[in-house]
Amino acid sequence: MIGGFLDWLDARTDYRALLAPLRCRVLLNGPSWWFTSASCLLWVFVIQLVTGLLLMTKYSPSTTSAWASVHFIEQSPSGAFVRGLHYFASHLLILLFVVHVVRVLLSGAFRPPRELIWITGLLLMPLVIAWAVTGNPLSASQKGTAQIEVEANILGSTPLVGSALRRLLLGGDDVGHLTLTHLYFLHVALLPLLGIVLLAVHLHQVYRHGLTTVIRLPFMALGKPSGHARPYWPYQSVRNATVLVVLVSALAALAWRWGAPLEAPADPNLTIQPRPEWYFRSLFELRRYFTGEWEFVATLVLPLALLTFFIAIPLFDRVCPPKLGLTARLFVVAAGLGVWGWLTWNSYARDWRDPEYLAAQDKAAGWARRARLLADRGRIPPEGAAALLRGDPKVQGPLLFARHCASCHSHADPRGEGIVAAEPSAPNLFGFGTPDWIEGMLDPRAIGGANYFGHTKFADGDMASHVREWFADVSGDDAAELRAQARQVARALAAEAALPARRDADLREPEAIAGGAALLTDELGCTDCHKFHDQGELGSAPDLTGYGSREWLMGMIADPQGERFYGPERNDRMPSFAKGSDANGSDANGSDANRSDANRSDANGSDQAGYNLLHQRELELLVDWLRGDWVEHAPEPNDP
Amino acid sequence: MFHRRSMLKWISGALGTASAAVITLPGAHFLAEALRPHRRGQAIVQRVARLRDLSPGRPLQVAVVGSRRDAWTLYPEEVVGRVWLVRQPDDADGGRPPRVAAFTAVCPHLGCTIQLAPPGGRFICPCHRAEFSLDGAPSAGPGGKKSHAPRGMDELDCRLVRDSHDGDWWVEVTYEKFEQGLTSKVSKA
Repeated sequence: MIGGFLDWLDARTDYRALLAPLRCRVLLNGPSWWFTSASCLLWVFVIQLVTGLLLMTKYSPSTTSAWASVHFIEQSPSGAFVRGLHYFASHLLILLFVVHVVRVLLSGAFRPPRELIWITGLLLMPLVIAWAVTGNPLSASQKGTAQIEVEANILGSTPLVGSALRRLLLGGDDVGHLTLTHLYFLHVALLPLLGIVLLAVHLHQVYRHGLTTVIRLPFMALGKPSGHARPYWPYQSVRNATVLVVLVSALAALAWRWGAPLEAPADPNLTIQPRPEWYFRSLFELRRYFTGEWEFVATLVLPLALLTFFIAIPLFDRVCPPKLGLTARLFVVAAGLGVWGWLTWNSYARDWRDPEYLAAQDKAAGWARRARLLADRGRIPPEGAAALLRGDPKVQGPLLFARHCASCHSHADPRGEGIVAAEPSAPNLFGFGTPDWIEGMLDPRAIGGANYFGHTKFADGDMASHVREWFADVSGDDAAELRAQARQVARALAAEAALPARRDADLREPEAIAGGAALLTDELGCTDCHKFHDQGELGSAPDLTGYGSREWLMGMIADPQGERFYGPERNDRMPSFAKGSDANGSDANGSDANRSDANRSDANGSDQAGYNLLHQRELELLVDWLRGDWVEHAPEPNDP
Repeated sequence: MFHRRSMLKWISGALGTASAAVITLPGAHFLAEALRPHRRGQAIVQRVARLRDLSPGRPLQVAVVGSRRDAWTLYPEEVVGRVWLVRQPDDADGGRPPRVAAFTAVCPHLGCTIQLAPPGGRFICPCHRAEFSLDGAPSAGPGGKKSHAPRGMDELDCRLVRDSHDGDWWVEVTYEKFEQGLTSKVSKA
């Protein structure tokens, strides 16, 4: 049946005669394991085409949609696996390329009449690199975007044409929508077209001139041809397939186990320490030795000179005595791999020894996990994936705190880890609103210490004096009893804060909380100075109603001089961060737009909001972070 | 006959070229848009910080916010740049007004974001470890290695303005971008 169809097809197309050179190829010296690199390279190339075409069905190139669509691919059935294959195969392609070039160089397969095979093959090398360079940033991740920015600027430093090349690559002056469409065009259209043309010439030449049969290096004996003529199919083919299946298994294992990385969406607010991929590490290291105006020697002249040198090898070979030629080629391979390896190793070793770099990598990995977690909940808004981290208290909180609060406040755990103010002059806010933190405020040894009022004018103020008086004349069991009471008051105040982490604990012990509240208003007399719900008055100390709650904290940061908090006279040095803000007025997409707000309203005339140091949205993010109020769980099932 | 044949060849060539030109000329025009320097309009002049939030010798990074157009999207309010403010040491007798220098955080080398190296006495670009002193000048790295930066950090125009309401002094910065990789400072605008 099938045979009949093939006969019918052959009668009309003559395909058997066309394929005859393939089917009937004979290896005069027999098959060799050394010949497998070419075939594997071709099939990995095919894997890239197939997986690339598949990925195209779900990828969308624009700064708002690229990361989101890649994340969507990761969530699609087999999407992570297909993307993982594409990712790891791109690395394998480059690795195999090097192996293949070394093999061809050592076996002398570049000799006449095979010069065109050699040249087209070498020209495929920069193409494959360009392929990787244009592919890595397509996810619009932090790392990819930073890489293409630097790479475009390297291109831009080329004399004369640099600036035009840079603009063509980026689609304009800066990385944006058009960068992604340009890179996408290069990656999926222009480079494949060029690649296929070069590959067609390459393969045509291979069939026309046949495989080299001479392998005379002693250490190549392992795969040495037997010396007996054998047809290519199946004697060589089975070797090709054996190596290929090993490589494909490795790819599948990597794609299955780890998959392709997806860093956080690019956001100029979150700065990272970008590094190139491993195949560029040697150039990255090399440029250390060429600074200033000589840098293009490392990034442009040397790579091009190297490529030209390799292309010219058939010419050198012609004038070189055969024995010397082989030694020279061995030297080129050894020196090339040696220098490449040494530079690469040095570059990695330097980073691994650099604690700042490692810390930056950790931070970026944390952002990536966070972005994926938020995206897993299906919450990517229309403005794009960058909004995920911009609206996330866990990510923005520390940045806002460091920028606005850390000149006075620390936010460091008992081991001193976290944000430590250079010159602390206000309480350490780590754990603010928890029973432990509040208990410290009621501890005569702690309240005047560095973590509480130590560096403020309240160090010997009414509150600190009261606390010290309570404990002044008691000892033994009475002191223990007093401490237990303080603990209970702390529990009651922590219940006012209603931190998300305390929700269950508060629900479990309503009596303890009620008891603490009773102590606070009656026995301990806190409401002599403080207001607490319907007890006490405002005007002499901060309000304890809703102490540490979201609303309380926002009011406190917005205007500590307000009557409900410290008032204009008692306030120490804390500035009002959002005095003019109305609680729900501002839109919710500002990240750190406070200053423009300040300027704009100032230009408009007499708007009190002109003095806001914090945008409403920033204030919310900061408070939510201080209260540990953020999404922290695995995806909710069927979350829309 | 011969004349006729060469004439026909010539006409075929001409017609082919004309057809190709219909495609290639608009095509080149279409692509060349990327080559045209993008007009940004005037530089952004913005108050970025209050003078009293700056202390001498302690650089502060502030954000410049403005609208940004990215091809078909207009972002009405985005961080368009970052600026390092360095307040100069005050005069001992307090006679002269305080001085503040502003530097763009964009590295003149390859455009990464310059950061403050702990503990804060110098700037460093994390990409290629170009170091700068607090006055923006490139400084040699550890072991006397020459800085990667082709020039110092790009200084921005900066002046102190007094707010008409509360009399606070503000730092007003003129934010611009500059070409990377050159030894001299060339505005991108």
